[in-house]
Amino acid sequence: MAFGALVLLAWLLLAGVAVQVGRLGLRWRRGAGASVDWLGGLRALPRRYLVDVHAVVARKPASSVMHQAIAGGLLAATGLLLLAAIPALFAAALYWLLIALAFAVALVGAVLVRRRRVPVKPASLSAGAFLTLPAYLGAYAAGGLIATLLPGVPGLLGVALAAFGGIGLVAQITGGPMRHAVAGALHLAAHPRPARFAGGAASDLVPLDLDAARLGVGTIGDFAWNRLLGFDACIQCGRCEEACPAFAAGQPLNPKALIQDFCAANRKGGTAYAGSPHPGIASPGPVLGVLHAETLWSCTTCRACVAACPMMIEHVDAVIDIRRNLTLEHGAAPGKADAVLAALRYAGNTGGLAPAQRLDFAAGLKLRVLAPGEAVDTLLWLGDGAFDRRYGATLRALIGIMRAAKLDFAVLGPAERDCGDLARRLGDEAGFAAQATVNVAMLGTMSFTRIVTADPHALHVLRQEYPAFGGHYTVVHHTALIDELITTNRITLGPATDTVITYHDPCYLGRYNGETAAPRRVLARLTGQAVEMARAREASFCCGGGGGAPVTDIPGKQRIPDLRMEQARETGASLVAVACPGCTAMLEGVIGPRPLVRDIAELVHEALQ
Amino acid sequence: MSASTDALFRPLTLRGLTIRNRLMSTSHAPGYGRDGKPQERYQLYHAEKAKGGIGLTMFGGSSSVSLDSPAAPWNQVSVADDSVIPYFQQFADRVHAHGAALMIQLTHMGRRTRWDTEHWLPTISASPLREPASRSIPREMSQDDIDRVVHDFAEAARRAREGGMDGCEISAAHGHLVDQFWSPSVNRRTDGYGGSLLNRMRFGFEVLAAMRAAAGDDFVIGMRMSGDELFDEGLSGEDCVTIAAEHTRRGLVDFVNVMGGQARDHMAHAVSLPNMAFPVAPFLYLASAIRREVEVPVFHAQRITDFATAARAVAEGHVDMVAMTRAHIADPYIGRKLLEGRADDIRQCVGAGYCIDRIYTGADALCIQNAATGREATMPHVIAKAATARRIVVVGGGPGGLEAARVCAERGHHVVLFERESALGGQINIAAKAGWREALSGIPRWLAAQVRKLGVDIRLGVAADAALVLAERPDIVVVATGGAANPGLMPGADLVTTTQAVLHQGIDLSGSVLLYDAMGQHNAASCAEYLATRGALVELATPDRMAAEEVGTTNQPVHLRNMYKLGVIVTPNLDIVAVRREANRLVAVLRNTMDMVEEERVVDHVVVDFGTLPVDAVFTDLKDGAVNRGQTDAAALIAGQPQPHQGEAGYRLYRIGDAAAGRNIHAAIYDALRLCKDF
Repeated sequence: MAFGALVLLAWLLLAGVAVQVGRLGLRWRRGAGASVDWLGGLRALPRRYLVDVHAVVARKPASSVMHQAIAGGLLAATGLLLLAAIPALFAAALYWLLIALAFAVALVGAVLVRRRRVPVKPASLSAGAFLTLPAYLGAYAAGGLIATLLPGVPGLLGVALAAFGGIGLVAQITGGPMRHAVAGALHLAAHPRPARFAGGAASDLVPLDLDAARLGVGTIGDFAWNRLLGFDACIQCGRCEEACPAFAAGQPLNPKALIQDFCAANRKGGTAYAGSPHPGIASPGPVLGVLHAETLWSCTTCRACVAACPMMIEHVDAVIDIRRNLTLEHGAAPGKADAVLAALRYAGNTGGLAPAQRLDFAAGLKLRVLAPGEAVDTLLWLGDGAFDRRYGATLRALIGIMRAAKLDFAVLGPAERDCGDLARRLGDEAGFAAQATVNVAMLGTMSFTRIVTADPHALHVLRQEYPAFGGHYTVVHHTALIDELITTNRITLGPATDTVITYHDPCYLGRYNGETAAPRRVLARLTGQAVEMARAREASFCCGGGGGAPVTDIPGKQRIPDLRMEQARETGASLVAVACPGCTAMLEGVIGPRPLVRDIAELVHEALQ
Repeated sequence: MSASTDALFRPLTLRGLTIRNRLMSTSHAPGYGRDGKPQERYQLYHAEKAKGGIGLTMFGGSSSVSLDSPAAPWNQVSVADDSVIPYFQQFADRVHAHGAALMIQLTHMGRRTRWDTEHWLPTISASPLREPASRSIPREMSQDDIDRVVHDFAEAARRAREGGMDGCEISAAHGHLVDQFWSPSVNRRTDGYGGSLLNRMRFGFEVLAAMRAAAGDDFVIGMRMSGDELFDEGLSGEDCVTIAAEHTRRGLVDFVNVMGGQARDHMAHAVSLPNMAFPVAPFLYLASAIRREVEVPVFHAQRITDFATAARAVAEGHVDMVAMTRAHIADPYIGRKLLEGRADDIRQCVGAGYCIDRIYTGADALCIQNAATGREATMPHVIAKAATARRIVVVGGGPGGLEAARVCAERGHHVVLFERESALGGQINIAAKAGWREALSGIPRWLAAQVRKLGVDIRLGVAADAALVLAERPDIVVVATGGAANPGLMPGADLVTTTQAVLHQGIDLSGSVLLYDAMGQHNAASCAEYLATRGALVELATPDRMAAEEVGTTNQPVHLRNMYKLGVIVTPNLDIVAVRREANRLVAVLRNTMDMVEEERVVDHVVVDFGTLPVDAVFTDLKDGAVNRGQTDAAALIAGQPQPHQGEAGYRLYRIGDAAAGRNIHAAIYDALRLCKDF
């Protein structure tokens, strides 16, 4: 009798889930259209879940065990119960033993879920409904276990307990934590960047239709429906919050709260968010009816949140979508953004300088400037860092290395324009498109095998974002080039020193483009004492210089580069090796006694023999 | 790097030559020439600046184009024949290897030289008027002389070009032949080369036109000139603007290199090479005035010692190239340090004028604070790390001790520095109290900042004794305890005060003071000014022929001017014989060094300067325990070799600076550098 009741409960709960998913679906329908390969997505779902998601989840082994127990136990127990419609199974003792086992595993999972917040709730985890979640989970699992093991009235009481828990869980699907379970599965199938699951970087921003009636996201419904779905997949695990440099610096951005703000904006009456707020923000703001603009301008676009998110939610895309609307429709980019974007429009560089000044740093070096119709093996893309005297030293070192290796290379000189990275991250898609169009046309007049650049932002834009504008190039970062030159004995270095050096991964090189090995190989050749910061490689901590953050300059309690330098100090390194003009400027701007900051090109140039 | 210094790092292109930045060194005469040629020492000195990031370095101040403008007597460069060309080529290669441009100054000194040297040829000029500095009365130049010198200039320009120079300038400044023609104070001719300003410019026009014809159209030729001769009979500011404008209008020069004043006599010379008594960039306004009227780049030097002033001069458009000539003598790495964001590491010129003062006594130019300058073949500007880290104790935080600590720390050693006083700087802190000599404090300020940055363990207010030193278990001990004022040995020495005591303790001596100076250095002269400024009646007596006789030509005139203004009586040719007390006053017995007649002064105070005697108690106490018994091997030191007793158990002991014997700041710093670079 208890068995039958339990099976009935399972079917009733399934019906309840279906109703709830329908209600969620109505919510997601408010979003804009998006083409989704449902068939492919659903087919790939098991792999995406078991491989891609769990690779992220497993970075915290305790969480992984917890999730396997609770999700595995619940799904297995409930799924098996639904199969009881097959009479042979209903009669099999082993079948019920398996169900009991699954409920037992789920019960352990429920205990583990509770232990996440009891006795002490970590700051990055949310409270609210999450505090009652273990009780529902526990009730469903314990009830199910009792009902499968005990006959008679105790068994029926078990069913009642399971019903209490199960109904509680189903009720939490639209407004509470259990939304994660259904939205998460659908999000993995309908993910807006399916290429992420194919091992690709998939970090390029998608061009905006500049003729559209609405530019970017101005209301919650301007997000594509599968983006809205993605936001609802969030379980508020707080990993993005822990990863976010802006949050760490006390700037008004908490990526977890950001996603929940989107969820709230898409639901009448909002959601009862009970996690850490955006630092310093006490009440909802005007953007989408929930956000303050400072929150969006605090983002350095470093993608640490995206890389940390087990649900593969795309925070940065959302930030840029809203920035596009703020900048293009409202002209509301704050701080010095307006001046910088204007300078870019009339001068082709963010400093508003004469194009010929791009080569000032190289006065006397007699660089070959490639002219239309000419050919060269390697084209050295200088980037706007060339206008900065400090960064000129890095470029001169790189040129010295390329000359020592006798490479056939040239620069573009005054013809080079800013790649448009800053404009694009600030939401000025029109400004970016203008730069991209001009650069792609200009590059089309010349012939070269590859582009080398010391600027990871330029690398990212040229490699990943210019293809959408018809520019397809082989783009190599200077650290990869140097690695290649060392490996192929094109340059010879002196013996490794014992200087303690730590390498700071640029976000746009490491996370955006997956290049973390080459710079380390080069560094290992320079010193026997390379040490790692706690946050390294794909988990690197931003210097604070990305996404136009130095331009919008949203105040916080601390500065991001100060935090990063402190992390470098903790390694005992006397030198921080960098590989990006932005990182160089940000980390060298840290005042007080600190390790030296040197680009890998400078270190290699010094070690040349 | 501040935004404004960006102005310094914009390239400048003139006549096809691109100079990588706006930092330059003007042509000067460091006395490094040998046999009239710029040989290794001269070349390495400039190559170091190129290595240090300078855009343009010009050498060979007053390089001679003619035999009757002799170069060898003051170790300069003669461009009067082709034998110099290979040296130029080697020179150019060395500088170009580091990306800098190299130019030379060409000149004929006219009457501003001596006939009784090298070739014993008569001096020549526009008119036969005596030149105050060299006391020569030249022969008035005939048309043949003019044609010959014009031809010599042309030949010299050709040699500069064939030698691989990036350009050259003629000197029409400091009272050389070309500006002797310009200046109404020298040119009294009535032919086509005299009279109107245009006529007076004719000789220079001919020189520049001939140089252009000989050197070709793609060779940079500029002109150094005064922006105002700053004396009544000379060229006015307006004259100079006219001259510059006329030359550029005619396309004769690719740049003008403007300076203020002239150098016809001692005071004018001191003004034209402003020392620390002057404000920074005192004549920038003259260059600025000319830049407004000419279409070619304007260069300018004169006491631009800090990069902020340099950057301002360029950013505000006063000049196109800013010359930091003495600043690069103090630190040839200004450009590189700015580019590397290490502005704080720049050793800033303090304006002591030690470098230039030495060359006017026939010696070589050396920097008071950077002992590596001019010694690039043996002394490093950038200190390399040692193979083995040692424990080194330095006793004394004056210039010698600080330099020792700096060099040892740069070598990577663990350094403890003991200083008895509460501040680092030693006797420089005393010297800097004397009025316009305050800027000397920049020397220990930089050294102290460097040793702090390098992590030297500084123990201030600790009078180290042998036990304290040995408690550090040192491998090497450097004693730099300096000197104590020497009151002299004459009867009554116990009654006198020393210049050091006056300045150090800030004693206000009222009434009459006899200041006896046996040293002829800055010390007594500046102390005389110090006392007179505070109302004392001061007589400075000296056995020398003039006060501050050992002080060079850019500083001594300033001392003399100040003493005249303050009513200090200077009495030369006197020895001090005895001092005795009479009632509440002192009687100083003086004896004339020429006729031996004794005379007496009844004064309230007698202040003496007999230099210093070594403070060497710590050295003496440590000597017997040291593996080298405190002996410095002079032969190894001079050869730039490591000292003996390397690697023996126990500690080695050395003494440097005034702790060895009273000398000067440069001696103390050189002692430290050449000893410690091999630790």
